[in-house]
Amino acid sequence: MNTSSPMTLVDRWSESLRAAGPLPGPGWLQRLRERAVSEFSESGLPNRKTESWKYTPVRAFEKLEPPAFGSDRGVQAVVRPQALLDADCTMVDIANGVLAAPLPEAPNGVSILALAEGMQRYEIQLKRLIEKVDLEGSSNAFAALNTACLEQGLVVHVSENVHAGALLMRWASSAGGASQFQSFRVFLLLEAGAQLDFLEQYQSEETAEKGLNVIIQAELGHGAALGHIRVQSEPESMTLLTSTSIGQTADSRYSYRGFDLGGGMVRHEFEAELNGPRAFADFSGAFVLDNKRHVDNHVSVDHASPDCRSEQFFRGVLGGRSRGVFNGRALIRTGADGSSVRQSNANLLLSELAEMDTKPELEIYADEVEASHGATVGRLDEDAVFYLRTRGLGDDQARRMLTSAFCRAVTERIEDRALAAKVAEMVDSAMPGGLPGNSAGPKAES
Amino acid sequence: MLEIRNLHATVGGKPILKGLDLKVDPGEVHAIMGPNGAGKSTLGNVIAGREGYEVTAGEVIYNGKDLLELEPEERACEGIFLAFQYPVEIPGVNNTYFLRAALNAQRKYRGEPELDSMQFLKLVRAKLEILHISDDLMHRAVNEGFSGGEKKRNEIFQMAVLEPRLAILDETDSGLDIDALRIVAEGVNRQRSEKRSIIVVTHYQRLLDYIVPDRVHVLADGKIAASGGAELALKLEEQGYTWLEQGGIQALDMEIRA
Repeated sequence: MNTSSPMTLVDRWSESLRAAGPLPGPGWLQRLRERAVSEFSESGLPNRKTESWKYTPVRAFEKLEPPAFGSDRGVQAVVRPQALLDADCTMVDIANGVLAAPLPEAPNGVSILALAEGMQRYEIQLKRLIEKVDLEGSSNAFAALNTACLEQGLVVHVSENVHAGALLMRWASSAGGASQFQSFRVFLLLEAGAQLDFLEQYQSEETAEKGLNVIIQAELGHGAALGHIRVQSEPESMTLLTSTSIGQTADSRYSYRGFDLGGGMVRHEFEAELNGPRAFADFSGAFVLDNKRHVDNHVSVDHASPDCRSEQFFRGVLGGRSRGVFNGRALIRTGADGSSVRQSNANLLLSELAEMDTKPELEIYADEVEASHGATVGRLDEDAVFYLRTRGLGDDQARRMLTSAFCRAVTERIEDRALAAKVAEMVDSAMPGGLPGNSAGPKAES
Repeated sequence: MLEIRNLHATVGGKPILKGLDLKVDPGEVHAIMGPNGAGKSTLGNVIAGREGYEVTAGEVIYNGKDLLELEPEERACEGIFLAFQYPVEIPGVNNTYFLRAALNAQRKYRGEPELDSMQFLKLVRAKLEILHISDDLMHRAVNEGFSGGEKKRNEIFQMAVLEPRLAILDETDSGLDIDALRIVAEGVNRQRSEKRSIIVVTHYQRLLDYIVPDRVHVLADGKIAASGGAELALKLEEQGYTWLEQGGIQALDMEIRA
C-alpha cells in the first residue's frame, strides 16, 4: 500500500526553508530562524477558525511559491514607479523583495543600512526587536515565516534630536519569474527627540504575481516622532501582507496615513505599544476596492501608560465583489488613567455584492478614560446625488465627486499639502468605474 | 418658455398633482401659493426630475422640448434651476470647487469653453457681494454647517452664477429672518430679465412684498384653483387658506374674472 500523500504547502515551504541552510548573521539569529521554521511547520497557515483571520482567506497565499534566497532575483529588471516625492529625496528601492544597491547617502545623524551591516552596528536593539516577534500559533504563521527567512532587511537609525526629513521606500516586483512570496524586514530606530517621515510606495509591474511579507518594527525614543505614509497601488495579481509594530516611549508620536488603491489580497496589521506617558499613535487609512479585491486592516493599540492618546480613522469604498475588513482594537490597561481613544470606521458600498466586515474592540481597565467609537457601512446619499445633478453634473460625475469627498477626510490628514493633493488625485483615479445608479449607460450626445 | 398641461403625478403611489396646468412666458415671475400638502414642492421636484416622483399623465413642454424625457442634469444644462427648500449638506465637497464643476458641466453641454479657477473667481466675486456671502463660505463644504439663511443665500448665489432660463424657488423664504429675506429677494430681483422666467413657490405672502410677481396661482389639491395678479396674494393673506378650502375659491374666481 502506498502511504505517501502529496506534501502540504506548509511542508513544502518548511522543507525549502530548511534546504536553504544557514543564512548569514549571528548564531542567535540562526537558532531563532530554525525555531521559526519549526513553529511555522507545526502551526500551519491560519484558516477560518483562526479568529484574527476569520474574514480574510489565505487562498491567495497558497498560490505563491516558497521564498527564494540570495540576490539573484532580477533586481535590475523591475520597472520602478514614479516617485511620490521629488526624485532628489532620499530613496530606497526594493525590487522583488531584494534591497537594491547602492543605498542612498544618509543625511548627518542618520544611518541607512542593509540588514547585515545594521546587525553589526545595532545588534542589541535588533536582537531585542527580532526576539519580540511572536512566532507561535497559526495567527502568527506569517511572522514565523518572515523570521525563518530573515535575510533581506533595512535598518534606519536616527540619532538624538536629529530631524531626518523624508525617506521614501519604493516596492516593486517584476511581471516575469516565479510567483515567490518574499519576506522583508524594516527596522526604524529613532532616538530621543528624533524625527523621520517614512514613506512607502508599492507599485509593481502590471501583471506581477508575487507576494510580499513585510514586517516593520519601529522604536521611538522619548519625544521622537515618526510619520508613516503608505500608498499602495499594486496590480490585482499581487498579494501583500504587512505588519507594523511601534514601540513608543513618553511623549513620542506616531502617525500612519495609508492608502490602498490596488492589490488583489492585501492585509495590514498594526500594533502600537504606548509605554510612556503622553505617547500618541494615530492610524488613518483609506481604501478603494473593486472587482474581487480584498483589503484587511487590523489595528491594535496597547495603552500601558497614563495620559496617552490613540486614534483609528479608516474609510473604505467598495465596489464590484470586493471585500473589506477592519478590526480595531484598543486595550487600556489598569493604571493607564487619563487615556483617550478615538475610533471611527466608515464605509461606502457602491455595489450590492461588495462586503465590509468591521469590528471595534475596546477593552478598558483604567479610570478617567475618554473613549469613542463608531462604525458605519452605507451607500451614497441619493439626495446629495440629486442635488448635484440639478446643478448640471452628470450622474457619474456626481457620484464620483461624493465618493472622492468621502476619502478626502483621510487624504486631508497628510500634513504636506502638495503630497496630500497628489494622493487625493491617485485616490480619485482608483475609484471603481461602473458606479451604480447609472444603469441607463452612457447617453447619446444631444 | 414653460407649458404644463394636465399634469398628474404620484409620490409613492399617492396622487399629489391632479391635472395641473401652467403657462409661464419668458421674463415673467409667477408665484405659486397654497396650503401645506397642496403639491407645491412636488411641482418643483417633477420639473427638476427627482426620482420617486412619477408622472402618470400630462406633459411638460420647455422651450419646445418634452422636459420629462430629460435627465435632471440635462434639464439643468438646458437652463432649469431648482432652489431647494432644504439645500443638501455635502461634507468634503468644497463649495467653490462644486460650483465651478457645475458651471463647467453646463458650459460644456452648450459647447462653450470651460473656465479655469481664475476666470471663475472673477465671475463670482461680484455676485458674492450682492448676496453678502463671505469668502469663508466659499471655501467650506457645500452647505455643511451653514445657517438656514446662509443655505438659502447660497442657493440664490448658485442661481446667479449658473444663470438659468427658468428658476424655481421652492419655499426660499422659509426659515429666513427679515434681513435675510431682503438680501435673498434683492439677489433674485437682480436676476429678473426678459429672458429669464422665475417661479416662486411659497406658503406666505411676505416674500412677494419683495419679489413682486406678474402672476399669482393658488395651488390646492393638486390643481391650480385660481390665478390672478399680485393682488391675489394679498387677498389670500387676508383670508387664509382655510377660507379657500371652505369654498372661497368660487368667490375668488368670480372676483378675479370680474
